[in-house]
Amino acid sequence: MNNKIVKLALVLFLICAVTAGILGVVNALTYDRIYQMKHQKEFEAYAAVLESSSGYTETDFDKAAFPTVDSVQKSNDGNGYVVVSTFSGAQGSITMACGVGTDLKCTGISIIEHSETSGLGAVAASSSEAGVAFREQFVGQDGGIALSKAGGSIDALAGATITSTAVTNATATSIACVAALG
Amino acid sequence: MLQNIISISLGAILINNFIFSQFLGCCPFLGCSNKVDTATGMGLAVVFVMGLASAICWVIDHYILIPLNLAFLETLAFILVIAALVQFVEMFLKKAVPSLYSALGIYLPLITTNCAVLGVVLLNVQNNYNFIESLTYGITGGLGFMLAIVLFASVRERVQFSEYPECFEGFPICLVSAALVAMAFMGFSGMKIF
Amino acid sequence: MNRKQQFKEGLITNNPVLVQQIGMCATMAITTTLFNGVGMGLSVLIILTCCNVVVAALRKIIPDEIRLAIFVVVIAGFVTIVDLLLQAFIPALSAALGVFIPLIVVNCIIIGRAEAFCQKNSVKDSFFDGIFQGLGYTCVLVIMCVFRELVGSGRFGGGLIDIANGFRFTLDGTGGGIQIFPSEYGMSIMNLPFGGFLTLGLLIGLMQYALKRSEKNRKEAERAAAEAAALKEVDD
Repeated sequence: MNNKIVKLALVLFLICAVTAGILGVVNALTYDRIYQMKHQKEFEAYAAVLESSSGYTETDFDKAAFPTVDSVQKSNDGNGYVVVSTFSGAQGSITMACGVGTDLKCTGISIIEHSETSGLGAVAASSSEAGVAFREQFVGQDGGIALSKAGGSIDALAGATITSTAVTNATATSIACVAALG
Repeated sequence: MLQNIISISLGAILINNFIFSQFLGCCPFLGCSNKVDTATGMGLAVVFVMGLASAICWVIDHYILIPLNLAFLETLAFILVIAALVQFVEMFLKKAVPSLYSALGIYLPLITTNCAVLGVVLLNVQNNYNFIESLTYGITGGLGFMLAIVLFASVRERVQFSEYPECFEGFPICLVSAALVAMAFMGFSGMKIF
Repeated sequence: MNRKQQFKEGLITNNPVLVQQIGMCATMAITTTLFNGVGMGLSVLIILTCCNVVVAALRKIIPDEIRLAIFVVVIAGFVTIVDLLLQAFIPALSAALGVFIPLIVVNCIIIGRAEAFCQKNSVKDSFFDGIFQGLGYTCVLVIMCVFRELVGSGRFGGGLIDIANGFRFTLDGTGGGIQIFPSEYGMSIMNLPFGGFLTLGLLIGLMQYALKRSEKNRKEAERAAAEAAALKEVDD
């Protein structure tokens, strides 16, 4: 009886060990590439919202006052900041990069990660005509940015008011965050 | 903190209900919703296991896997923990609380392959929840599952007496009625608390 | 074992989703664009085939008492490998499918095939079983995606096909698809959970109708043949 349990445990342990070993090898092979892929997306997003020829440096900011902001990247060209923030959209959280120029005007937004409904909120991040047009509206907006129905000039995406509001508010927060940097 | 917990709870139960908006746990949802009684039993068992699994997996993830740089083993570790946990809970209940065991008994083994359980654990990692948040998400996610399955079981008891095309017998009519319940749950999707 | 028979079983008569009615969560959750559907289907196909082969190869040495635990470990291993490879090489797919890739571990199709088929059959048979069952699953996903995408947003092949600069396949999920009618006229509710439940319900209903129909036809043909034989006997 005891022998049998030991044997079972041994077989299970061996199989687990072999599996874990194989996974370790696969992980070692793919780790660098996954890391690169994830960050490449971020860097591409930075470049899309605020051009900088000499890269970006992470800057400290007031996390307590702006809890949704993940990081603030200062452009080494001195033409502004990129604010990365994570906030909740209609379905789950949205991670967005927002470029803010030295004149405290938005230079562009780019959605890095989201789980919005395909065809509705997801348009905000898509490369479709409607998506590009939606994001274009943010360029040149200042801290008073708002949806057109709230008296501003941003037209919400059809059927995705929650997503549009969330993105608009996040842009306002990003601008406020940079303004607070002084 | 409290605000976080309330918003996680409401999200898990109503707005992002595990079944009607995230499609996690559909197999037991359709399999065990014949009667309100069985649905309640299954729901209770899921709440119990999901809560425990979230707590234990969080501890394992943060104190063993992440410090050892073994985060890639998460899926493997979690499923083993859940399988072992289900076995353990079954044995424990059998000895300690026989009445609860006889109520939940037959549903417990089924839970290992319930994707809501593994799903909640993986979502905890993905959303970077801390211990309390994970535990809350696990328990309220289970409650959301229970709400869905009990509601749906009552709908199904009525569907049995209605007329529908013969070829829809069994699963198809269930799925169509689930679609209608899902539409009702869509009403929560615009809800924002804070 | 007859390959043709196995092929027919996987795709139609014993289709994992439509007939065995397992593995439904992912089927309903991710079928919003063709890109997701094909990606998920192929991932399951690969994992299923690998697991089938390994389980069949190990079937003699796996102790009966802990076979389920071992199946789960093997499956989780392959799922993690596929997950890591997707993250590294097709990050768009990994992002779109999210938690549903690791959740293939608890997809009943794989553990069900290991338990019902591979335990008793040779490596070669299990290999083909994996491919055919995987194809059956992929077909269902593709049908659902095409339907939901067309009705929901008037598109075909979202993410996978790009026609902006001539026809080409996009593996990074950026293709806009072929717009068949303007998306404003689509029922976007089909992209939401409601559409998932409804489409799968209708599809299984249709399948049951077709199976019943063919069963009836077969019986009638048999009866006709029997009658003809009886008549012939009388004639003789």
